[in-house]
Amino acid sequence: MSAALIIWNKQMGKFARNGQESIGSLIQPVLWVVMFGVGMRSLLEPSLGNGDTYVSFMLPGIIALTVLSGATGGGMTWLLERVQGIVKEYIVAPIARISILLGNAASIMTKALIQSVVILVVGVLVGATVSGGVLDWVASLALVLLFGIGFSGIALAAGSSTDDIGVYHMMIALLQLPMLFMSNALYPLDSLPTWLAWVARFNPASYLVDGLRQTILTDALTMAGSELLPLWACFAVCTGFAVAGMVLSLRVFRSSLG
Amino acid sequence: MNQTGGYAIQTSALTKEYEAGVRAVDSLDLKVESNTVFALLGPNGAGKTTTVSMLTTLLPPTSGTAFVAGSDILEDPAGVRRKIGVTFQETVLDDALTGRQALDHHGQLYGLSRAERRERAGELLGLAELEDAADKQIKKYSGGMKRRLELIRGLMTDPEILFLDEPTLGVDPQNRAKIGDHILGLKQRKGMTVLLTTHDLDEAARLADTVGIVDEGRLVVVGSPADLIAQMGDDTMHVQGNAPSDGFASAAAALDFVTEVAATDSGVQLGVDSGDRRLTEVVRLASESGYPIETISVSKPTLGDVFLKYTGRELRD
Repeated sequence: MSAALIIWNKQMGKFARNGQESIGSLIQPVLWVVMFGVGMRSLLEPSLGNGDTYVSFMLPGIIALTVLSGATGGGMTWLLERVQGIVKEYIVAPIARISILLGNAASIMTKALIQSVVILVVGVLVGATVSGGVLDWVASLALVLLFGIGFSGIALAAGSSTDDIGVYHMMIALLQLPMLFMSNALYPLDSLPTWLAWVARFNPASYLVDGLRQTILTDALTMAGSELLPLWACFAVCTGFAVAGMVLSLRVFRSSLG
Repeated sequence: MNQTGGYAIQTSALTKEYEAGVRAVDSLDLKVESNTVFALLGPNGAGKTTTVSMLTTLLPPTSGTAFVAGSDILEDPAGVRRKIGVTFQETVLDDALTGRQALDHHGQLYGLSRAERRERAGELLGLAELEDAADKQIKKYSGGMKRRLELIRGLMTDPEILFLDEPTLGVDPQNRAKIGDHILGLKQRKGMTVLLTTHDLDEAARLADTVGIVDEGRLVVVGSPADLIAQMGDDTMHVQGNAPSDGFASAAAALDFVTEVAATDSGVQLGVDSGDRRLTEVVRLASESGYPIETISVSKPTLGDVFLKYTGRELRD
């Protein structure tokens, strides 16, 4: 069994046994969809009559947010395991450094994928429409995974770069919120001011969001407008983001070993 | 066969600088023979943990290198990692796991089969007297139990060389004795090489075949505890006066019954053939050479006296 899989397996075992963590991780995205989705829906429905479409439209953003929060939590766990010395067991074991990071990123992403399923289910319950064939679902899964591995890499890098929890949270907050709000997640790209639309085009989250809209939430496309990011670009950017995130985490982790 | 000439560990000019010019470990040349227990003895901050960190590939050296279990720590760190077991100074257990899970997880990382893992974990938990707690979460373990668990975790993979950084730090005397017996058993039963660090003189004397005294990043002297103590003479005299001791020290060195003279931060330490018989002569010599004695004591030499002789300071925690 490869080392990444062994570490993934350990983290997932801890997750499954920790009832508070697993249940808490499911409640949070549900709250997001219900509070934000239902609120926006009742705002849009009377005037524009497209409240349900907006719920479909914003679901990818909630998935992105969940992935970002999951990675932030995972980076925090990593920081604590480093400071407590638990990571030392891995460093002196005959395994590659990258597999330590990949194992952690994989466990972060497994949790985030479970949450994403819950988001979709709750989204449908409050009015969204999911669509797409098997291939579309596989593609959407791949996009979420790639994007999540990328941001997990950033979080693991941040968690390797400091032993101070406060510093870690400050670094992550500087990235996490802009990634969501400076993207096309909550508003269509062509409704944004030109400068913000450009920022959003450089934001990997936009590519996850538009990728999901084109695969399993096609109902949202009417609202997404004409400035849709092409699906091939969504894959290219998310793949690049995943590779860049993991390379960054490996570099920072290596340099933290003195 | 290889460059290490049969040594389990051999370092050459191993050096670590955390900041430029400040050497935590300074040109360490160390040889540890296979199937022996080697103790690095020294005060806190002497560079023991840094040395272990470099030998276990946790930390890259600033310069120099080392062969550990036949592999170069720089050229082939993976080769080193496959053959060593490590217990760190601080407790590094994931306390959300049970003891058995922690051992199993560790075995997985080293590619042991499920059957091997189960068998060794069972055997080792018995050895460490942890069977009853094996399926409890580690957060419910006492400090001594955690320490014992870490020790057997290092043994899960049947390493050629076991590194133990302060294995009994913060452990009560009863557990300390148990852990000590265990370390001695390892060498005898498994032919393992053990490198441990300690600042406990008695522990070093009891467990080690060879003791290396380190101080301020340097290896000061190496030898078996018995040899190191024997070269101190039959008795050790600690003479403390309230004047510069140079004159007395050189006068004492000229006496033929004095085998060792060492100026320390608290006076002069003499190795003599018979403390009781020479006491009056030493007292007379001191007053003749202008070194009024405040206290004088005679004892059988210990590793502590060896440490004092080579470093000029007493070994304190």
